[in-house]
Order: sequence, then structure tokens, then C-alpha cells
Amino acid sequence: MLRQELVQKFVSIVGPDRCKTSKEDLLTYAYDACIYEYLPDAVLFPKSTAEVSQIMKVAGAHNVFVTPRGAGSAFGAEGLAKKGGVVLCFTMMNRIIEINTANRYAVVEPGVVIADLQKAADKVGLFYPPDPGSAAVATMGGTIGTNAGGMRGVKYGVTRDYLLGLEIVLPSGEVMVTGTVTAKDVTGYDLTRLICGSEGTLALITRINVRLIPKPQTKRTLQAIYNSIDDAGTTVSKIIESGIVPATLELMDKTIIKAVEGFAHIGLPLDAEAILLMDVDGDPEVVEKQVRLVADFCTDHGAKEVRVSRSEKESEQLWVARRSVGGAMARLRPQFMTEDCTVPVSELTSAIKQVVQICERNRVQVAVVAHAGDGNLHPLLLCDQRDKDEMARVQKALDDFVDYALSVGGTLSGEHGIGITKSKYLPKQLSETSLKMMRAIKTTFDPRGILNPGSFLEHHES
Amino acid sequence: MIAEQLREEVHNCIRCGLCVNACPVYKQLYFEGASPRGKVQLIKKILEGALELSENFSRLLFTCLLCETCTVNCPSGLQPDRLMKAMRAEVYDKFGLPWQKRALFHLLSGDVLLPFCLFWGRAVENPLRFLLPGEGKVGTIPYARLPLLNSKPLLKQFPEVIPAQGPRVGRVLYFVGCATNYLFENVGKSVIDVLTRLGIEVVIPKGQACCGLPICLSGARKMALKNIERNLELFNRTDADAVITDCATCGAALKKEYPHILEEMGANAEAAQALSSRVQDISQYLTSFDLEKVLKPVRRRVTYHDPCHLLRSQGVKDAPRNLLKRIPELEFVEMADADVCCGGGGTFQWEHPEVASGITSKKIQAIVETCSDQVASGCPGCRLQIHGNLGSSLIQVVHPVEILAEAIT
Repeated sequence: MLRQELVQKFVSIVGPDRCKTSKEDLLTYAYDACIYEYLPDAVLFPKSTAEVSQIMKVAGAHNVFVTPRGAGSAFGAEGLAKKGGVVLCFTMMNRIIEINTANRYAVVEPGVVIADLQKAADKVGLFYPPDPGSAAVATMGGTIGTNAGGMRGVKYGVTRDYLLGLEIVLPSGEVMVTGTVTAKDVTGYDLTRLICGSEGTLALITRINVRLIPKPQTKRTLQAIYNSIDDAGTTVSKIIESGIVPATLELMDKTIIKAVEGFAHIGLPLDAEAILLMDVDGDPEVVEKQVRLVADFCTDHGAKEVRVSRSEKESEQLWVARRSVGGAMARLRPQFMTEDCTVPVSELTSAIKQVVQICERNRVQVAVVAHAGDGNLHPLLLCDQRDKDEMARVQKALDDFVDYALSVGGTLSGEHGIGITKSKYLPKQLSETSLKMMRAIKTTFDPRGILNPGSFLEHHES
Repeated sequence: MIAEQLREEVHNCIRCGLCVNACPVYKQLYFEGASPRGKVQLIKKILEGALELSENFSRLLFTCLLCETCTVNCPSGLQPDRLMKAMRAEVYDKFGLPWQKRALFHLLSGDVLLPFCLFWGRAVENPLRFLLPGEGKVGTIPYARLPLLNSKPLLKQFPEVIPAQGPRVGRVLYFVGCATNYLFENVGKSVIDVLTRLGIEVVIPKGQACCGLPICLSGARKMALKNIERNLELFNRTDADAVITDCATCGAALKKEYPHILEEMGANAEAAQALSSRVQDISQYLTSFDLEKVLKPVRRRVTYHDPCHLLRSQGVKDAPRNLLKRIPELEFVEMADADVCCGGGGTFQWEHPEVASGITSKKIQAIVETCSDQVASGCPGCRLQIHGNLGSSLIQVVHPVEILAEAIT
């Protein structure tokens, strides 16, 4: 519990409306998109760097734990107060400060929702590519904290690739600027990219400079339909190998197709074993050529049909459907646990097979969706939290899958981050030396350990 | 306690958050308790016994327009609006209503009081209104931009059966909502005019009551039960082709909410289900007519705003637009975000004027940017809210059927 006098101190910084301590408000900040819940002692909504700095000074002086949070759409409790204390929620600090067309960058506050930045950039012919499934809700600050990836990774990379500079507040309350707005910058250590993906353990992000690129002139969406998920997986590996670079390359299995069609009603093929959803974008002539190339490629590798979207609207509907996968799963079972191990893309087909076998072995219902072009799998293990036995089997399947992914040179997490759900696996992938260096970095930034305690470096059981 | 099928729903919220930034109220307030996900999670805690039905919860529960945007955006298939409506009934059982709402709903659910008050309201309020201070507001709406009361309730202006003009080709039952009856008589006259000219006999069953939805949405379902039963009795007739409404909210009540409310109260919902399939919004009903023969040009630019209770509750999107587009020389312009709630939300704009005005100002901006002469919308609540906030703009707010009636004469 937070002492009343401390609450008063926070109120004096942000005012009573932006310091919430009622049971109802705290309960709504106890969760994100995973199944775990941790109740904070207070939720603060700063609106300026100065407020964040003052809050950290008070927190530092009284050893109050502080956990930064965006929209709460993460899968690993990254933004939850795992050891109590204050949640610093950035949703009210959400101005787009500048969109610079001459130099193609944007300056935003951390609470800006990705989709809103994308819309604003689009209006002036620019494009912010990182596109996690949660783009309609996730905040810029949150996605930089977790270095979010998403569907356009295969061609455009991830959040980190668009980050130019940050303004951050250190746990001590000091304000620091990293990076610039320029396209190149090699001045000193690259602290900008260190903060990116640090899951709120090093500093609080208060301002963000991101690179924008010219909007692709045109885009077409292809849907390749398969009778065999193996063929779909092999197509993906072969496409990447052949040097074709689609803007997105997503795989959905039959369970996913059915659940999504149940929500979106856009005519997905319910009798297919798998589909690949692909965008090609760029100049109109190039796109037309690529559409034919990719379509032929899919047919040659076993697709029974390839559909090409006829309009922007039709493409958009397909992507809205793809983004709704997580939610649509609730049509089948109340919860899911997701894994986002990533393997070298040439291993995709056997990785999918392994997922299915592991789940069969552990008697767990699984649905497979993947950012296939990146080798980034998202098997969704369906479950009901109220069934303890099932939850244990799900956990075992996740463990097995991690072992497999690491054995073929993959990684624990492609984009969701570690949080508390995967922290116990960290020593499997990172050496003791590597963990020691990470802890040393953490201590340098946050010697008292008040920022996001209980996060991936400390938490070793599930 | 709330119905079994709704109780199970809370476990299906996977907390993906797709409803959060889609919610117009959240986008004004930016804290989770204002969002649908937050409310669903709190309801879950209450059903699990981990949270009491508190005043704080009640405050959050009513910080909601019931615009149903969350429901149409939920990939998990949850219906947060139904959960919240059912919880409002629980809150009512525990805390009752604030006195202003209690008074208003007694009026709407009674037979005698409402006509009595409106008679005196008309006699006194219409002339007196000009004496009210210019600055005062009801919620976000300045006194001066409130509508005048009808000189006589519409139901008193027409007989029970209004014959078709020319040979009769059909017969409909007309459900006249309170707004048309007491405030917007021209909408009712237009409905009758258009229908009878198309050869439809219009029957206005005597003794119809307020649809009761505004009462139910505040949680006081039991108070509205008599209204619901009476309307079901009067309108479940098979001697007409359809039951017509001109009000999005009344339509939502008859078509969708009556069966839900009765089921959730454990009452017999058969009559409500039978009625449901026969109810049509006036714009839907008119779609099948060969209007081109009778429509004269109306030279005007018109935009359209989707009422929540028409678009999301009833799924009616194209019918009113197409009606307008069929009028010769009428220039139809789509506004930005036509499907976003206007911020009215019944009594919401009066209880949360600062939230409502943020939402409404975006709507007004979208309307003004179309440079239209009129904005059409088939919902009296939207009409009040939009007209009330248009300020010095000369844009008129009308019901699509009013423009149609003009085009037919």
C-alpha cells in the first residue's frame, strides 16, 4: 500500500483527476492482454516530461516502484505492477507534435496510438510501417518499450528500424535526450536502440522521433489457399529464398480461418487447411508484375487457388480480419496462451509440424498463425484458465516448443517480448555473461531497482 | 442477478483491447475505466464476487453512450452493450435513479401525467422560453436551440386509420415515438404523407405507449414493463404488411431490445420475437417502392449522420442514404466518420456535458466541412444533439423522410 502522504505528493504533481486510487480504477489497471493480473497501488497519468520527472523524483526519494504502461495490449505483463507501486500510464500524453515532410520524420508523445500516427502520416503521403496486430490500440511508447514487430516486418522491419531518437526520464528524474532526427547518427553508444525493447526497465520514454518513408504508391493483397499447411509453409520459405520481397506474408491455419470468418464475414475459404495472406506494394507496374509472380509461385507450390483483392477496401477487410485473430479466438475457448518463438525461415514448415506434434502430445488445442515471412510463429494454445490441469498441459507444451525453437537456432521471442511469461526461459538462450551484462546495464540506469520491478531480468518462474 | 448467457460472456473477453480506442468516450477521457474493456472486466469482478456493486462502478458504468461501437468491433463476439445494459438494471435495483431521471421516466411510462405536463408545457414553455437566460444550457444544448413542443400531440392530429391516396396497395402499423408525437410533428406528417401517397393505408393503433427504451437503458426495466406489454399487444397484428417507425431508438426497442429485455428478466419473450421480425425503419420500408415516378427534383446538398440505434442496433446503413440519392438533383455528400456517435447518447450529454461536447464538436466539424444545406438523420436524439450544437451555422437537421415528403409534393 502507498502511504496517504505519498499519494498526496503525486496528486500535487498531476492533480486529483490524473491520480487514480479507487479500487475500481486499480482493477482496470491490473491486466493487459495476457492472463495474469497484478493490482497497482495507484495509477498516474502524466501529461508532460516535467511531470514524469517530478514523479520519478518523489518515487526515488521514497523507494516507490514505478511501472510504465501504454494501452495494455501486451502479452507478457510488461506494463503491470508486478510488485505493486505506481503504474505510470501514458495514454493522456498523446500529442503528435510534428510531422516533418521535408525531412520525413515525426515527433510524438508516448501515448499516441500507432494507427493515429499512421493516419496522420498517410494524410501527407508518408508512411510509418511498423504494424503490430494491436496497431489500433497500442501506443507508440509501449511499442518502443517492447520493440514491437508486426505484419510488415518481412519487408519493412520492426519498430527499432524506424527509431531516430528519444527523450527519456531516468529513474533519478533526470531528463535525457538520445539520438537525433537525422537519418544517420553514430555519436556515442546507441542508447536509443538500447531503450527500445527494454520493456520499461531502464527509463521512461517521454518523446519519440521516428523515421517516416514515402507511402508506397499502390498495394495489392493476395490470398493463396492451400489443402496442406506444409505446402503453405514451404511456399513461404521458397518465396523468401527466391528473392521476392512481399510487404507482408502471413499464414493462418484452418482453426484461425474459421474463427476469423465467424467475426469478419468476408468470405474466407472455410474448407482450406491454410491460407497465405500477402501484400505486394510499390509502383503500379512493379506491383502488377509481382502479383503475377507471387500468384504463379504459390500455384506452383501447391496452392489450389489464388485470389487477388480487387479494391483497397477488400484488402483492408482482409487485414482487419487478420488483426482480429487474437480476439476471435475467444469464439472457441475463453483464453489462449501465445508463443512467438521465431525460427530461421527455412525451418518454417518443420516448425509448424513440431508445434502441432507438441500440442498433440500434450493434449492441447492449438491454432497456428504466423508472420511467416519472418519465421515468426504465433501458435495460440487455447485454454480455459479455470481448468488447472489443462493450464499445466499448456505450460508444458510451451516449454517443449521453446526447447525446439532454440535447438534450430531460433529465438524465444520475435516481437512480443519476454515479460513474465517467458522470463524463465532466458537462461536457455542467454549465457550467464550476457545476463550479467544486462543486469549491469539495468543497475547503471536504475541503481535502486524502482523501475518496472519483477520484469524479465528478475523473474524466473512462471 | 444478470442472465446466465450474459454471465458466461465475461469470460470470453480476451482483453485484446480492440474496443478501447474504438470507443468515443475513451477517446475523450483516455483511462481504462471509461473503456468497454475496463467495464467488462469490472463486471467480471462483480460477478465473481471480487468487487461490490459500488457507486464508483455505477459512475463508470454510466460513463457510456451505449453507442454499441464496442459490440461491432469485438472479434470475440462479446456484446458489451448488452452486459452494460443488464448491469444498469442491477445498479438501479441497488441505488435507484437520480430524481431528475425518476421524474422524467414517470412521465414517459404514465398515461396521464405526460399529456398533462405537455399541455401546460406547451401553454407556458413555448412563450416563456424566450424569457430564459440566453446563456443557459441543458447539458451541451443552449436553451435557445431546444425544439418547441408540437402545438398538439401528433396522435391527436390524426385518426386511427388514415386511408391511402388512390388505390390501396398496402397497409402498415405506424409506431409513433414520443419525439415525433410531442416535438417533431413534421416527421410524423411526412411519414404519413409519403406512405399514403404511395398507396399505403396507415394505421396508428390507439393507446400506444412510449417504447420505454430510454427508461430501460437507465436500468429501470421494471418501470417500462407495462409500456412494453401494451405495445406488444397493440402491434402484434397480422392485418398489416409491417410495423413502421421513424425513430431509430423506437425501432431498436421493438426490433431488438424487447426480446432481450424480456428474456433477461425471465419473462415470456415470444410476442416480442414475433413483433421483432415485422418492424422496419421507414427508410427500409420505402426502399422497395418505385419512387422515381413520383419524385420531383430537390436542389440541395445533403449529408447523412448514422444514428447508433439505426446503424449498429438495427444494421440499417444504406437504406436512408439510397433514399436521398434517389431524389433528382439532390447532391448527396458523405461526411467523414458518419458512423461515429454524435455524443448525445440520450441523457448522456446532460450527465457528462464535457465528454459529450468533445465528441459532438468533431461531429459538427465533419458536418460543416461538407458544406451541406441539410444533415439528415433518423433519430430525434441525434437531431437534438446536432442541432443543439451547430451554433451559428445555418445547416438544418432533418429526418430523411422530411426531404422525401418535399420531393413528393
